Amino acid sequence: MSKFTGVWGVFENLDEMTDTIEDVRGKGVRPTTLSPCPRHEIEHALGPQFTLVPWIALAFGALGCFIGYGFPAWTASDWVLPVSGKPILAIPAFTIIGFELTILFTAIHTLLGIAVLGVIDSFRFPIPQAAKEYTRFQRDRFGVVVRCSESQLTEFETIMKNRGAEEVHVEKA
Amino acid sequence: MAVTTIDYVPEGGKVMVDDKNGHPGIKATTFSYGQINDDMLGMLEKPHPSYFLLLLGFVLALGLGALSLSIQVDVGIGFSGISHPIAWGFYITNFVFWIGIGHAGTLISAVFYLTRAPWRTAIYRSAEAMTVFAVMTAGLFPLLHTGRPWLGYWLIPYPNERMLWVNFKSPLLWDVFAVTTYMSVSIMFFMLGLIPDMAILRDEAVRKGQKLKALIYTPMALAWRGTNHQWLHYMRGYLIFAAIATPLVFSVHSIVSWDFAMSSVPGWHTTIFAPYFVAGAIFSGLSMVMTVLIPIRTVFGLEDYITKHVIQSVCRVIIFTSIIVGYAYATEFFIAWYSGSPYERAIFYFRPFGEMASWSLIGDQKISFPLIAFWLMVFCNVISPIPLWRWKVRNNPLAVWIICALINVGMWFERFNIVGSSLQREYNPASWGEYWPTIVEVGITVGSFGFFFTLFAIFVKTLPPMAIMELKEGTIPPMKNPGGGH
Repeated sequence: MSKFTGVWGVFENLDEMTDTIEDVRGKGVRPTTLSPCPRHEIEHALGPQFTLVPWIALAFGALGCFIGYGFPAWTASDWVLPVSGKPILAIPAFTIIGFELTILFTAIHTLLGIAVLGVIDSFRFPIPQAAKEYTRFQRDRFGVVVRCSESQLTEFETIMKNRGAEEVHVEKA
Repeated sequence: MAVTTIDYVPEGGKVMVDDKNGHPGIKATTFSYGQINDDMLGMLEKPHPSYFLLLLGFVLALGLGALSLSIQVDVGIGFSGISHPIAWGFYITNFVFWIGIGHAGTLISAVFYLTRAPWRTAIYRSAEAMTVFAVMTAGLFPLLHTGRPWLGYWLIPYPNERMLWVNFKSPLLWDVFAVTTYMSVSIMFFMLGLIPDMAILRDEAVRKGQKLKALIYTPMALAWRGTNHQWLHYMRGYLIFAAIATPLVFSVHSIVSWDFAMSSVPGWHTTIFAPYFVAGAIFSGLSMVMTVLIPIRTVFGLEDYITKHVIQSVCRVIIFTSIIVGYAYATEFFIAWYSGSPYERAIFYFRPFGEMASWSLIGDQKISFPLIAFWLMVFCNVISPIPLWRWKVRNNPLAVWIICALINVGMWFERFNIVGSSLQREYNPASWGEYWPTIVEVGITVGSFGFFFTLFAIFVKTLPPMAIMELKEGTIPPMKNPGGGH
């Protein structure tokens, strides 16, 4: 038995899907969408969304920068090797390492951030197993998933049908 | 007027454009999402026997390289032509060359993504794969050049019983950090772009009942479903990757150039090296992209995706960078003269004319490797791209392919011209020398091409060579009321 209570529909056309999103949002519910590629029309219909990815990138980029300058500085101080009166703590030389580690830390943690946030979102915004296994969302169909109480099922089912959904599935936990 | 393409305007539907005038019209923008899936997955079907023949050729070249490598490692670095005073020969030349080839992918996927160049969509995946393979190839050479590659881990700063740290003030160590960072970021960028396409492959395999393929692609898709939450994180992350990879592209070859420029060797100690190397890297990288993609376009019938407009656009960047490279060559000579340094003047006389017998611009007329390298470099990099200024040449894929292949040759010799010549004629005539490569060095060089092309040939038949998701993004979406907005 499904643990999901809600309605999900399959749409052939993008405008039918975005109209459905707007109708669903009009009822005070934010749906989850499925699409073969990102479309700005879907973003506009869903309204403002927040992601932590840039903040993760910034935080770990700063950490990489700190390590990139700090580690060479520490090793230079750990074994002092004066050459031709050149500075022990050579900031211009260490800037290369600082730059590279900033980029490296940002890249690694951006990728990890996308993966971890994806896992977290799969718990925060669950979608029914049948929708996950519907293979045409990766091909040429759009999906709208609405998580709601049992009393709202008929209402959302009607919205989707009226907006031209090819298929509408009602799921009860 | 030959109206053959349709450009998509989000507000107003379709606009007919003239392909001849180079409008950024891409026929594929009119394809359905399903057709794009089918076209791209069709490329991954069972290959034609000629593919295996081609692959065999690459593997044989790779085998020659592996054999040469085993001899080199077994006998030692003395078996190469590298000896005092020429400590840097073919291996460092190959390193610089392959790092340069590796610049095109990240340039196309990052810089042209930020500048919103629509023609990049069809070629960026292959270019990214090229970057990964080229940097992997490049990374082998410094290790080999050290003579004891099994001690390569000494380059990494780690606590050790000798209580020694690496020298962070050395350009050679900057190189270690720059190249490993570039390789890591390139691989991650490549993997990031592949995730939605892996989900497509997974679901298409499930849809067609191909159980083995589904089993392979399912873990590679990382549970990608294409939800709005996943797209949100993904697209923001992709933008960040593009933003950080852009300075990285320009920094890597700058840092490679400082391996030379930070020394006091005549012909190397110059501030022009960073932009000169970066322009050369983009020049050679894009030429390699065309050298590889034009045959693929023909073999797989991808004329609707890799349109002539795409080829024209890449050619324009090649023309631009060829001008920079040609200008840099001229500047080097001017500065050598203007500096008043007899050593600088001597090396820049030596490169084109050989030993300075008199001021008659004849030299000693003795053929040396740098002399061959110099004139090949000038012909292939400065003269051969000139026909690309003509629209008709840019619009002829065969002509573009020939020119790009010549540029690849020229860029290899440019790298040798820089690496090999200066060490032959340093300050003290008592320490001058000659450098000719041995058969082992030539074998390893051929092997590096075999390694690169073998990996690329396997890639073309196992992973989607074009970004399916981005092709769909650039396509007219299915609408019940086209042009009606939302």
